[in-house]
Amino acid sequence: MTILVQAAMISALYALIAIGFTLIFGVGGVLNLAHGATITMGAFSAYYAGQLGLGIPAAVLASVAIPALFAGALYLGMVKRLEDEPIMVMITTLVVSVVIEQAIMVFEGTTSRSLPRLIEGQFSIAGATFQNLLGVMFVVSWLIIGLLFLFVNYTKTGKGILAVSMSHKGASLVGIRSSRINLITWIIAGAFAGIAGLFLGSWLTASYAMGQAQLVLSFSIVVVGGIGSIRGSVVGAYLIGFLEIATTNLISASLQGLAPLAVLVVVLLVKPEGLFGREFAE
Amino acid sequence: MSDKSTSRLRLLFGTLNPLGMPLRQKIGLLGLAFLIAIPLLVSLPVVGQFVVLIMPASSWELGLYNVAAALFFAMFAMSWDAVSGYTGEISFGHGLFFAVGGYTSAMLNMGHGLSPWVSILGGVLLAAVAGVLIGVPALRIEGPYLSLVTLVAPLILLQLFIYMSDIFGGEQGLGNPDNLVGLGFVSNYFLALGLFLAVFVLLWALTRSNTGAILTAIREDEDAVSAAGLSTAKFKIFAFVLSGAIGGLAGAAYVHTPVGSPTPSELMSVIINVEVIIAAVLGGMGTIVGAALGGLFVAMVPDYLNLIEFTVPVIGKSISEMSFFLFAIVTLVLLNIFPGGVLRWGIALGRRATGRTGGEEGMAADGGQSPDEGGTDPVEQTIERYQEYYDNMFGGDDE
Repeated sequence: MTILVQAAMISALYALIAIGFTLIFGVGGVLNLAHGATITMGAFSAYYAGQLGLGIPAAVLASVAIPALFAGALYLGMVKRLEDEPIMVMITTLVVSVVIEQAIMVFEGTTSRSLPRLIEGQFSIAGATFQNLLGVMFVVSWLIIGLLFLFVNYTKTGKGILAVSMSHKGASLVGIRSSRINLITWIIAGAFAGIAGLFLGSWLTASYAMGQAQLVLSFSIVVVGGIGSIRGSVVGAYLIGFLEIATTNLISASLQGLAPLAVLVVVLLVKPEGLFGREFAE
Repeated sequence: MSDKSTSRLRLLFGTLNPLGMPLRQKIGLLGLAFLIAIPLLVSLPVVGQFVVLIMPASSWELGLYNVAAALFFAMFAMSWDAVSGYTGEISFGHGLFFAVGGYTSAMLNMGHGLSPWVSILGGVLLAAVAGVLIGVPALRIEGPYLSLVTLVAPLILLQLFIYMSDIFGGEQGLGNPDNLVGLGFVSNYFLALGLFLAVFVLLWALTRSNTGAILTAIREDEDAVSAAGLSTAKFKIFAFVLSGAIGGLAGAAYVHTPVGSPTPSELMSVIINVEVIIAAVLGGMGTIVGAALGGLFVAMVPDYLNLIEFTVPVIGKSISEMSFFLFAIVTLVLLNIFPGGVLRWGIALGRRATGRTGGEEGMAADGGQSPDEGGTDPVEQTIERYQEYYDNMFGGDDE
């Protein structure tokens, strides 16, 4: 039972981490390898806000706004003109993430920093106690996923996002400007990454290289769920979250991080399009 | 000896005659001669001073070590280029091969007492096997998915190394295996240079041969290659095995020199994987020469930056503290200015400057794939290739 609750909450975090990544891939058709660095950025934005004594609300705001602005700037500044060259986008975003990580390493060093606690206290389910923070994380994650669904399905911009993800040409034929939609997607993805970084840093700690593991995790989740599918990412996140908690708790704690990778390889070899991914067209 | 073979020999010597070579190859040979001569030049009166000054370290001996490390890195970059630059299958985890080569050799040497010469061979063999293991899935999955697999493969290996740290030494690595040629600065330098040259000549010759043309054709249009009756699977696996073996050789030899040791951070970290790609793309993908130059550049720039004792006023950090950070920024800028690689840009510039096009110069160093021939730029082809996968994935927007 404890394991199940724990896994559910971790998986909620994983879903937050992966959704931004899948959005960008699904809509823009490019892999944003700076996603992990954006998460790191979210965590450190909150850390700096805490250092300046700005209080929790300001820290939350900073950790959402700064990564969102950064992602928007990254899209406008570099990705936009490389849009037809996915491979250059991959390499460029990879280098961008190295720049961010190194910048944090230069200014903050390699030691981990602890963020201001968002919420103190604990709660208990079925005789086991959990941090309130994790509970809030779970609720926020579902809230965001719900809002995203509403946004995508019921607003004009959201429908535009859907249209662009289905067909760039078709979307532009009916008068949707795909570059604007892409920009919105990048900003949303950046904000989500920031929130994920905030929770991750608040729960554990923040360090310059924290984003690397998150990037790999996003990869695994997105591939398992099907590249470009939001629903798939949520399912993939829960699948991998439960699997990881199960292996670390029931087999060995040192296996942390290995389970998602193993699942990833199996899925890639057996069903490369993932659980909910679009089939390769003939 | 028949007439035919004599004339072939004469043709070969003709091609190898430095005076008949295009300008950029002369420059390349000069650079090579300089690399070979460095240990001799330092003892000369005035020239020596100059050489010591331009070495990437505080003394020329340490500089030789740094250049040797850079030469090994350039070998990594060339091995990446051989598979990714030519077949267009981008590998994001070439560190896997370096690690397999390096760790195998170190373990054979330290655990079983084999001489480094034998254990390196073991490392190469196992790295070639790893090439098969990556190459076979590569036949089934394509484009970005393959990049994912190659990105994840070394991470799995790293997790295994940490999980079984009693065997693999975890994040600390394996300590110090025996050195091939002792600790001498000059001897280790020549070991690195010799290997570098051997790898370079092998890959250069191979990629300019028919095999190279087939690999390029696979990058350009896989269907056309199979339509011509050639097995693309065979050539792709060949490219992966070759690349894996050479990466393994470089990794294995590297751990048996004083400049390198079998640790995850030196052989298989995410940074190494990224640096290898940066080196090859920056130098010019699909040229081997570009990968070699890019490798030297990528490995030595941080060394040079380390030498600068200047403290940036506002932020209070010295240049040497920020060397890798600054390097990453430089790379970002260069990537934005020369997406096709610096080498191609240099060749094009050189052509314009010398006012020569076509003729001998037309026989480009990259096997006739220079950018001005339009549409055959490896970067473009690879991009097109990926675009196709994406179009398939997204229901095909073309037509």
